[in-house]
Amino acid sequence: MSIVSERLALFLLAVVAALAVLVAPWAAINRETGARSAVVLLPERVVDFTGRTDPVDLPAQGTVFVLTLVGLAGVGAGAAVRGRGRYLVWIAAGVVLVSGTLYGMNRFYAGVANARQQAFVNEVQRGLDNPRPTVDVAALEQVLAAAGERSLDENLAASADAGLVVRRLPYSNAGFGMSAFLALVVGLFAILFGLRWFPAASRAIDRLLRGAAVPAISILLALLAAAVVILALQPTPVGASVEIDGLFTYLVGRLDTLWYAYYSMFHDSLGTVNGFAESLKFSTPLIFTGLAVAFGFQAGLFNIGAPGQMVMGAIFAMLAGLYVPGPRLVVMPLAILAAALGGGLWGALPGWLKARFGANEVINTILLNFVAASVLLFILSSGNVFAAAAVRIIVVIGVFVALMIVLSLIRPVRALVARAPRVALAVGAVVLLGACIVAGLPQPGDTPVRLQMPFKVPGNEPKSQVLNAAAQLPQLPAMLGIQRAGVNLVSLDYGLLLAPVAALLALLLLPRWRAARPWSRRLPLALGVGALAYGVAWLLGWTSLPTAIPPTKLNLSFLLALLAAALVHVVLFRTRWGYELRAVGLSPRAAEYGGANIARNTVMAMAISGALAGLTATHYVLGGALEDYSLRQSIPTNDGFDGIAVALLGANQPVFIVASAFLFGVLKYGGSVLNITFPNLTREVVSMILALVVLFIAARGFLPQRLFDPRTWMGAESGPAKDDANQKRTTAAEEPT
Amino acid sequence: MDTVLLLALVSSMLRATTPLLFAALGGLFSERSGVVNIALEGIILFGALAAAVTAQLIEAPAVAQAANARVWYAPWLGVLAAMAVGGLIGWVHAVISIRYKADQIISGTAINLMGIGIPAVILSGLYGNTATSTPIRNRLPSWELFGIDGLAFNPLVYLAFLLVPITWFVVFRTPFGLRLRSVGEHPEAADSLGINVFRMRYVGVVLSGVLAGLAGAYLSIGNVNQFVSEMAGGRGFIALAALIFGKWHPLGVFGATLLFGAFQATEVLLGGGRLLPPTLVQSLPYVLTMVVLAGFVGRSIAPKASGKPFEK
Repeated sequence: MSIVSERLALFLLAVVAALAVLVAPWAAINRETGARSAVVLLPERVVDFTGRTDPVDLPAQGTVFVLTLVGLAGVGAGAAVRGRGRYLVWIAAGVVLVSGTLYGMNRFYAGVANARQQAFVNEVQRGLDNPRPTVDVAALEQVLAAAGERSLDENLAASADAGLVVRRLPYSNAGFGMSAFLALVVGLFAILFGLRWFPAASRAIDRLLRGAAVPAISILLALLAAAVVILALQPTPVGASVEIDGLFTYLVGRLDTLWYAYYSMFHDSLGTVNGFAESLKFSTPLIFTGLAVAFGFQAGLFNIGAPGQMVMGAIFAMLAGLYVPGPRLVVMPLAILAAALGGGLWGALPGWLKARFGANEVINTILLNFVAASVLLFILSSGNVFAAAAVRIIVVIGVFVALMIVLSLIRPVRALVARAPRVALAVGAVVLLGACIVAGLPQPGDTPVRLQMPFKVPGNEPKSQVLNAAAQLPQLPAMLGIQRAGVNLVSLDYGLLLAPVAALLALLLLPRWRAARPWSRRLPLALGVGALAYGVAWLLGWTSLPTAIPPTKLNLSFLLALLAAALVHVVLFRTRWGYELRAVGLSPRAAEYGGANIARNTVMAMAISGALAGLTATHYVLGGALEDYSLRQSIPTNDGFDGIAVALLGANQPVFIVASAFLFGVLKYGGSVLNITFPNLTREVVSMILALVVLFIAARGFLPQRLFDPRTWMGAESGPAKDDANQKRTTAAEEPT
Repeated sequence: MDTVLLLALVSSMLRATTPLLFAALGGLFSERSGVVNIALEGIILFGALAAAVTAQLIEAPAVAQAANARVWYAPWLGVLAAMAVGGLIGWVHAVISIRYKADQIISGTAINLMGIGIPAVILSGLYGNTATSTPIRNRLPSWELFGIDGLAFNPLVYLAFLLVPITWFVVFRTPFGLRLRSVGEHPEAADSLGINVFRMRYVGVVLSGVLAGLAGAYLSIGNVNQFVSEMAGGRGFIALAALIFGKWHPLGVFGATLLFGAFQATEVLLGGGRLLPPTLVQSLPYVLTMVVLAGFVGRSIAPKASGKPFEK
C-alpha cells in the first residue's frame, strides 16, 4: 500500500520536468549584479539577458539532453508498468537521470572554469601589453607561462603578487538552473520510490513520507505562493540593450527569475561555508524561541510572549554582564542564568495571572510584549523629564498598590471586593487614572532633569555599554583556535564532523536490525561505523581540507541552543514531571483528577517557556551577534513570533524544532541574500513565507486525511480498508495484491 | 483643569476609542458565533493597508496633475476597500477554523504573522520602501460634534459609536442575532433546530473581519494619512480584552472600550516627553488592560462553544 498514488505523482513529476527541460534554463553561464543573466537551455541554446556575455563552449550538452529525456521517459513509462516491475524501471531511469544530470553539471562547471581561466589569461596578456608601473613584468610572464598548471585561485594570488590584481572575471556566478534541478529531483524520487521493491525499504519510505508530508507540502505551498509574489514584484532583469521579444524569451526570463530567486535564497546557505555559518547564526535564536513556544504547547499553553521574554532576558543578561565581577568561569554561567531568569520571570507573570485569575495567557503575553518593548526603549533612551511629577505619579501608584496588598490581607475586605460589581472596579481604575493625571500635572517649581541610565552609552544611540570581557561568550571560530577568521585558509578535519554523525545515525538505525538491538552490541557497532566513516574520510583526503573560515558571529550560544533542545526533550519525554505536564496539556481535567496540580504546572511551564525565550540573549547580547557585545534596541524580537512557526513546523518535538529552526535560518539568511541580489525584492518575502507555512500547517485539514491521520494509515498497513473512499482510490492505482 | 485641556482629553479619548470599538464589536460577532478571532490585529493591519493604498492609488492621477486636486470619493473607496479586504481575511480565518477545524488561535496567529510580512512586501512593490505608504492628500471630511469648536471628528468615529446600538439590536432583537448566539452557545442544539451552524459562523467571522477592516481604515486614513507598518500597535488584542471585560455584550463592550480609550488618551496627556518619559507612558494602556483583565475575567462568561470547532 502506498499513501500517495505513487504512479500518478511520479508521472506528473516527469511530465513537469520534461516541460521544464524544453523551456526552463538548464544553467546560467553568467549572472551580473542586478540579477541580469545569460542562460543556457539544452541543447546548446543560449538566451542572453545581459546583452554582453560572450558565449562559452560547454561540452556534452547533447549527451546530457538525450540522457535527461531518456531518463524522464523511463520514469513516465515506469508509471505505466503494471506490477512490481515498475520499481526496477524507476530505479534504472532514476540512475540514468541522476548520473546524466550530475555528469552534465560536472561538464558545465568544467567549461565555465575553462572560460574563466581563458579570461584570466587574456587579462594578464593585456596587463603585459601595457604594463603599469606597479607591475613586475618578469614575474607576471612567469605567471602566464604557468597559468595552465595552476588553479584559478592560485593564479589570481600569483598575479596579485606580481602586481596585477585581476578583479573582474566573467562567469563568476555561473550555476545550474531550474530544469537541471527538476531532473535531479525527479531522478532521486524515482530511485526512492523504486527502492520500494524491497519490502523493508517500502515500510521505511511510507513512514518517512507520512511524517514529512504535512510540513513538506506546507513549505512547498508557501514557496509556490511566494513565487507569485516574486514574479509580480520582479520583472525579468535585462541589460540596457536587451529587449524581451517573443513568448519563448519571456517565458525563459520569468522561469529564470523565479529560479534564481530561490537559488539565491538557498544556494549560499547550503553551498558555501560562510552562508552555512550565517544560517546557523540565524537559526540559533529560533531554536530557543521555537523550544519556548513548543514547551508551552506541550503543556496546553500558547506563549505568544516570546518577544517580550527575549527583551527581559536581554536586559537581565546585560545587567549581569556589566555589573557581576569575577573570573570568566563564574560570570559567564551567571550571565546565562540571568538571561533565563529574566525571561522566566516575564513568562511566569502571565502564567500566574492565568493560574490565579484565569486570565487568558494569549492576550496577556501579547500585552507584555508591548510593555517589554517600551521598557527596553525607556532604559536605552535619554531625555528631559519632569522628575518631580514622575516621582509623584510613582508615589500615587505605590500607595495604591500598597493599599491593595494591605486590604487583600484583610479577609472581610477581600470578600467584599470579590462580590463587588464590575462597575465599582472600573470606577476604581478610573479614579487611579485620574489621581495619576492630577499628580502628573506640572507644578510651579518643577524643573526638567536629564534622565539617563548608568549602563547606557552616552549620546543618543540606543544601546548599552559593552559587557565585561568575562561575560562575553566566545565565537565559534575562536573556540576552534582560529583567531583571524576570514583571512587565511585553515586546514580542517571534516572527518571529525562526519564520524559522530555517522555513529549517531547508526545508533538510531541499528535497532531496525533485530540482532543489533541490545545496547551491548549497538554501541560498539555504532562506534565502529563512526571509525569507518573517519577512515573513509581519511581515504578521500577530507581529514585536512583547506577551508576559508568566515568571519562569522556564530558563537557558543549555538551549542547552548542544541543543549537546551536535548534538555527539553529529556524533561518532556523522560521525566515524571514532563509526563504530568503533557497530561495537563492534553486534558487538564483528567490530569487534575489524576493528581496533577494545574496551577503550579501552568506557572512552571510558562516560566520555563519564558526562560527558553530569554536565553536568546546568550546570542544577541552575551554572544555579540549584533555588531558588538552590548544590548541594543534593535534586538530582533520578531524571532519570538517566528518561534511559533518553528514550533508548529517541528510538531513541538525538540529534534524537529532544531531542524525547522535551521530551515528558517536558511530562509532568513536567504532573504538577506535576496535583498541584495534583486533590485525589486525585499527580505520580507521570507517573513511572508514563514507566516504562510504556519497557515498551511494550521489548515492541514485541506490535505487528504490519509496524509496525516495515523488512524487511516495504520489500517492501510494491515491491508486495504474496505469502506474508505480514499483507500479505494489508492488501491485502484496500485496493482491488485 | 481648563476647557482646552478637557476638550483635548475628550477628543483624544474618543479618537482612541474608535478603532477599539470597531474591532471589539467585530470580535463580538465572531465570538458570539463561537469562533475566537485573535486575528483581529492582523485584519486591522490589512484593512489599514487596503484603505491607504486604495485611496492613494485612486487620487494619484488627479494629484499628479494638480497637487491640491480634490477627489472626494478617494478616501471613501479606501474605506470600502478596507471593509472588503477585512472581510476577505476574516473569511480565510473562517475557512481554516470552521471548514478545516484548525486550532482557532493558531489560525489567527498565522494571520497576525501575515499582517507583519505581507504589507511590507506590498509596500515595497508599490512604493519602494517596506515601512510606509505615500501620504494621501484627500482626507475624510471632519464633522463637528454639537457645533463645539475643537470637537470635530471624521465620519468613521460617529459610525463606530452608532454601531453600538445597531449591534445590540441585531444581536439581541433579531432572529439572525438569536441564531448567531445559539450557534455560539450550543451548536448541536441549534443544528437540531435546522440552523446552519457553519453558515452562521461564516457570517459572524466575516462580519468581524469587515468591522476590523474599518478599524484599520480609521487608523490609516482616518486618524493619520498613511499606512505605517505595525500601526495596529496591539489594538486588536486590547479589543479582545475589552470584549472579555464587556461580557460579550455591546453595551459592556462600549463601556470597556471607552475605558481603554481613556487609558490610551493618557498617553496624550502624560506623554509628549513633558511629564514622564513617553517611552514609559506608552506601556501604561497595556499594563492597565492586564490589570483589568485579571480583575474581571473570572466573572465574565464566554459564549459556551467559543473556540470549539463544530463537528456535525
